[in-house]
Amino acid sequence: MNLSELQSDFQRALFDSECKGADWISESARGLSARDRLDVYYNAYRIRLIDVLLDTFEHTAIYLGDDWFNQLAADYVQSHPSTYTNIGLYGRDFPPFLAERLADDKEVSELALMDWTLRRAFDGADSTVMSLDDLQQLASEGNEGIHLQAVPTLSISTQHFNTLDIWHAINQDQTPPVVERLPQPIDILIWRKGHSPHFRSLAKIESAAIACLCSAGSLDAIGATLEKDFPDVDVATEFGVMLHRWLDDEIISIDP
Amino acid sequence: MTSGFGLGLRTEHYNDFLAEPQPVEWLEVISDNYMVDGGKPLAMLDQIRANYPMVMHGVSMSIGSINGLDKDYLRKLKILEQRIEPMWVSDHLCWSGVHGRNLHDLLPLPYTAEALQVVKRNVEQAQEVLQRPMVLENVSSYVEYNASEMTEWEFLTEVCQATGCRLLLDINNIFVSAFNHDFSPSSFIEGVPIESVSQFHLAGHQDNGDILVDTHDHPVCDGVWDLYRQALIHFGYVPTMIERDDNIPSLLELIAELDMARAIADDVLNPKVAL
Repeated sequence: MNLSELQSDFQRALFDSECKGADWISESARGLSARDRLDVYYNAYRIRLIDVLLDTFEHTAIYLGDDWFNQLAADYVQSHPSTYTNIGLYGRDFPPFLAERLADDKEVSELALMDWTLRRAFDGADSTVMSLDDLQQLASEGNEGIHLQAVPTLSISTQHFNTLDIWHAINQDQTPPVVERLPQPIDILIWRKGHSPHFRSLAKIESAAIACLCSAGSLDAIGATLEKDFPDVDVATEFGVMLHRWLDDEIISIDP
Repeated sequence: MTSGFGLGLRTEHYNDFLAEPQPVEWLEVISDNYMVDGGKPLAMLDQIRANYPMVMHGVSMSIGSINGLDKDYLRKLKILEQRIEPMWVSDHLCWSGVHGRNLHDLLPLPYTAEALQVVKRNVEQAQEVLQRPMVLENVSSYVEYNASEMTEWEFLTEVCQATGCRLLLDINNIFVSAFNHDFSPSSFIEGVPIESVSQFHLAGHQDNGDILVDTHDHPVCDGVWDLYRQALIHFGYVPTMIERDDNIPSLLELIAELDMARAIADDVLNPKVAL
């Protein structure tokens, strides 16, 4: 048996639904059998990945309870061989997996997506944050069409349930509220401020403004879009307030 | 080359290292934990690096993979190496997955001529990117292969001689594998080239009765301390560190364990002459 065959067989044995042993492992004169020795690796693979999911999806695990979470995590591990060198990325497809498995409990996948996005913001790319002075400097230089860009950790996800309340309750060691479908979906902004991931809900107009920030980016383009989509709103005033909050929240980057 | 005794840097001890100088000559960082885009991990690393020499220790290079090394992984490793300018860069003599899959484990290799050629090729690739000798660590193992043609220490010696790479001898891993595969740990220690050894790891393991499991969640046991003493007698002074990855105790407790290593090294290398 050459190295390629051995490594392929070993890997296949660990991905299998049960540990069946292998004839290319030496039977030891003492101690465990070859199958039990392989079992050490078989179990370690599962335990390690379930631990990563527990760590990444901390709020989701508390919400579901140990037994249910561990069963779902074990099923995910069995059906999703890791393709990541960075083990921290292994849970990328766990939220959609939960959405499919728990189709009648969609708040669970929303909670998982929130856990995942906050974790990714934690060690996402750094950037130099724009200050009010930076913005005033750009304005005083009389630049036509000032362009803004979001910090690289910023993302928006939409929630259809009171998932945000559930997350807060779990985070404060309180009993989560009964799940409720929201009258209108809400957008949740997630980003990193300093070393800490942050999140907050967005009003429709701010969500639209941030979507513009992430695509076009120029002050003029954002203003024009808001004027068109929110004809009954005093956009100049609203946008001014928003801009100050974005600067305070550190969601605008000054990096080229 | 550094001197002295080190610890593995763990997030639980960031504040201890930032608050005041600690009696640790150098720190080992898990490379993979800092091969990220940004945020707190890299900020903490930079701040602590300002006051401590560091070595980098990876867990995912998969230097024994038949498929060769992941170029993106090497690129990120090189970026981190340039950032913290470590004294050396180590990883394990193992493989972790093939064909785009990852088992996130340190899987033993069959000690064959073919595997030797694969490891030689991969070590040379890593050394070409890093522009420095790799340091390879012996792993704990729970299986041996029918295909093996030589011992682990013979294999390591061949790799060192063929590539110029160096060795990180994990004394606990020698202890664990020797028990699991019924070989003499002294044979291992005496079987690798003295001049190739750059570092020692000391760690704890779990005793399951008929097998020892390398968990790094216990203090160093008496048997491993005895083997450390034996290694010092054979190799002389080698930079040594305590490696704890789980059930992390206070820094004070780890420093006490490191002081034990210091005392043993002092006892072995500077014997007191009775008057």
